Amino acid sequence: MSHIHICVEHLNFSYEKKQPVLQDISLFAGEQESVGIIVANGVGKSTLLKLLVGLNLNFEGSIRVEDIPLEKQTLPKIRERMGYVFQDADSQLFMPNVYEDVAFAPRNYGLPEEEVERRTEAALAAVHIEYLREKPIYKLSGGEKKMVSIATILSMTPDIILMDEPSVALDPKNRRNLIRLLNEFSHLKIIASHDLDFIWDTCQRTVLMAEGKIIRDGKTEDILRDGELLEAYGLELPLSLYEKR
Amino acid sequence: MSKINQAIYEIRSLDTLANENRWVNRLHPLVKLWVTILYIGITVSFPKYNLSGLLVMAVYPVILFVVGEISFKDSVRRLWLVLPLVCVVGIFNPLFDKDTVAYFGSLAVSGGVISMITLMLKGIFTVLAGYLLIASTTIEKICYALRLLHLPKLFVTQILLIYRYLSVLLAEANRMTQAYALRAPGQKGVHFKVWGSLAGQLLLRSMDRAEELYESMCLRGYQGEFYYGSRIKLRAADMGYLSAWTAAFLVLRFFPVIDVIGRIFVG
Repeated sequence: MSHIHICVEHLNFSYEKKQPVLQDISLFAGEQESVGIIVANGVGKSTLLKLLVGLNLNFEGSIRVEDIPLEKQTLPKIRERMGYVFQDADSQLFMPNVYEDVAFAPRNYGLPEEEVERRTEAALAAVHIEYLREKPIYKLSGGEKKMVSIATILSMTPDIILMDEPSVALDPKNRRNLIRLLNEFSHLKIIASHDLDFIWDTCQRTVLMAEGKIIRDGKTEDILRDGELLEAYGLELPLSLYEKR
Repeated sequence: MSKINQAIYEIRSLDTLANENRWVNRLHPLVKLWVTILYIGITVSFPKYNLSGLLVMAVYPVILFVVGEISFKDSVRRLWLVLPLVCVVGIFNPLFDKDTVAYFGSLAVSGGVISMITLMLKGIFTVLAGYLLIASTTIEKICYALRLLHLPKLFVTQILLIYRYLSVLLAEANRMTQAYALRAPGQKGVHFKVWGSLAGQLLLRSMDRAEELYESMCLRGYQGEFYYGSRIKLRAADMGYLSAWTAAFLVLRFFPVIDVIGRIFVG
C-alpha cells in the first residue's frame, strides 16, 4: 500500500453541453488520507466519484492513480486498486448469497480458488460479518447489505476506497458500526456524503463543492466548524457541533 | 399478498430449494442437466399412439419427487400457469382423428383421444423435468454446466443475468404498484390511463438499476465471463446416477415394459 495517491487536475465534465457538472476540479489525495466530499446542492459528488473509477471517460483534464493515467487501456489495472461502494447497496449485490458476492471480484481476477476463499474470509472478518457467510442477499437488512457491500470491495484488497453516501438508510447502531469500521481502515478513503456528522467522524480532510467547483479544501475541523461558510452554501453545522456550541 | 409479491416470493423459494443440501442438490449439475435433456428427448420421441409406453416415463419425476423430497403440491401450484397451456396443445386432435384404435370395455376410443392424451402427457412430463432441474440446481450451477457443454459465454451470461434482473424488475414493479395503491384507495388494480406512464417508469427505473449493477460488476473485474466457483468434480455417485437413468430411459423407450408387466400379472 505504499505511495498510493489520486491526482486530479483541471477536471471538467458535463452530461450535456452548456450544463457543466464539474468545473476545473483539482485535487490530490495521498496515502492513508480520509477525504470527505460535501456538496452544497448535492449535484456532482456521485459524478466525481464515478469519474475517479472510470465509469465515465468523457471528461476533460486528467486523473492519475499512482501516476497511471485513467484511460480505457488502464482501467483494469486501476480498478483492481480501487473499491467503490455504491450509495444503494442493492445496486452492488447481485449474487445469490453473501459468500458468492464477496468472492465475485477475486474470481474475476483469476485467483486460484484457495486464494479466493482466503480473501473472502478475510473481507468478511474485516467487517465482522462472518456469521452472514451463507445468507441469501435478499434476507439481509439494510445495515447488513451495506457491510456486505464493503466486504465485496475489500476482497479485492484495494488501496483506495471510494464511498457514495455510505450512511444513507442506516439505523444509528449500524451507522456507529460503519464509522468505527472506516476509522479502522488505513486505506486512502474518499467519502462523498451530505451527512456532515458522518464526515466529521470519519474524515480528517474535507472538500466543499458548489456548482461543480471546489470552494474550499482543508481540515475537516476548520471547514465544518465554519458556520458562516456552510450557511453561505446552504449547509448547516454538523448536529454534534450544535450541541457543543 | 399481491401477485408481484407472490412472484418474488416464489422465485426466492425456488432459490432456497435449489440451495438446500439434499443428495439430489449435491449431484453434479452437468449430470442433472444431461439426464434432464435425455429424459425430455426420449419422452417426446414416443409415437403418438404409444400411450402405455409413455405412461411409464412418469417414473422419473415420481422418483425424483419422492427421493429428492420436493413437494409435488408446491410444484403444481408454481406451474399452474404453464400446465393448462401445455394441456391445450392437442385439444383438437379428437376432431381430426376419429378412427377407433382401442376399446376400454365397450367404449371405443379414437386415435385422436389417444394422441391428445399422449401430447398432454409429453408436455406435462417435460415441464416437470425442467422444474425438477431448477428446483434442485441453482441457476449458477446450471450455467456452469452449460459452459461445460461449451455453449457461448454470451448466451449463458444472458440466462444468468435475466434471472437476476427478473427479481430486480419485480421488486421495482412491486414498489411502484404499492405506491399507486396507497394513493388510489378503493381501486382494484391499476387504472388503464396510467398503464403507459407506469410501464415507462418501470422501464426507466429497471434500466437505471441494471446499469448500476453492470457498473458494479465491471468495477469488480467483470470482463464478460462469469466464474462459477471452483471446478465441481464428478464423483462415483454422479456417474452412477447418470448411468442408471440413461439405462432406465433406454429400457423404458425400447422395451414394452407395460406389456411385459401386464403379461406377468394377467398371464
